[in-house]
Amino acid sequence: MADIQPPAEEIRALVGHEFPGGKYTVAHWENFLLTECTGSEQLPDGLVHPVVLFHMPILGANTSIGGMFALGQAESDFSIGIESYDWEIERPLHEDVEYTVTGRVTEADRMEGPRRHDRPGVYDRIQFRFELHEPGGDFAASSTITWTYRRSAA
Amino acid sequence: MNVQVGDSIPEWVMESVRPERMRTMAAILRDPNPVHWDRKAVAALPFGLGERTINQGPLGLSYMLNMLMDWAGPTSVRRVTVRFPKVVLDGDHITAGGRVTAIREEDGVRLADCEIWLSREGESPSLEGTATVALPES
Repeated sequence: MADIQPPAEEIRALVGHEFPGGKYTVAHWENFLLTECTGSEQLPDGLVHPVVLFHMPILGANTSIGGMFALGQAESDFSIGIESYDWEIERPLHEDVEYTVTGRVTEADRMEGPRRHDRPGVYDRIQFRFELHEPGGDFAASSTITWTYRRSAA
Repeated sequence: MNVQVGDSIPEWVMESVRPERMRTMAAILRDPNPVHWDRKAVAALPFGLGERTINQGPLGLSYMLNMLMDWAGPTSVRRVTVRFPKVVLDGDHITAGGRVTAIREEDGVRLADCEIWLSREGESPSLEGTATVALPES
């Protein structure tokens, strides 16, 4: 794997990387459109559809999908694959509540083999964990994202 | 709620995955990946998917969440862990399904552990995983 860029050491060194963190409040319009995209009826009592646990932690931690692609030195948008999403909900999320969000890289390593519908090859596996806390400090939810970044030989 | 190990969760069906919802989702997510909104970009990939946009992973996951919430209530979902063996494409008719694998109690709350999946008719799952759901008392 010597001719694969970036060097595996650079990928492994991502473990522990912390995003700046920040706050995120889901507005009604955002929840409405998001829920509609899922094909669900709107939820009662200002409940936020749990699918928000993908993008809200990312944006709340002051990063972005594109930023996470860039952090792993993705060769292109097309080189990214999803391995898994793991969402824990301790307290249901609500509109107009300001959540505190933290995020960091928890695993990063170089792998070799087949990836989902893709051909076999070399890829990097990077795992991100985000946590959401309510204004009073209580843990509300977490999102663990594991992506693969396909690499081609130089 | 009377639930037993082995029970099937009522299915949730998306008659046709709509590309315009992927575009709205891409804007909300600030997702720059054109595979979710540019059919020609998908056709140019070496995967033989044709000119059909690829549904965002979280959207496929949301159909499974909808199934769980329709079954046990809108605040019932405690955890979902999902893998993505295959992609979902615009125009797909897909069904979310699940089955109860265990029932337990934690801090006074009755929880159902479930296996869940999302698939096209007659095919192996596009998404599959596990969920933990809090069961309503009545």
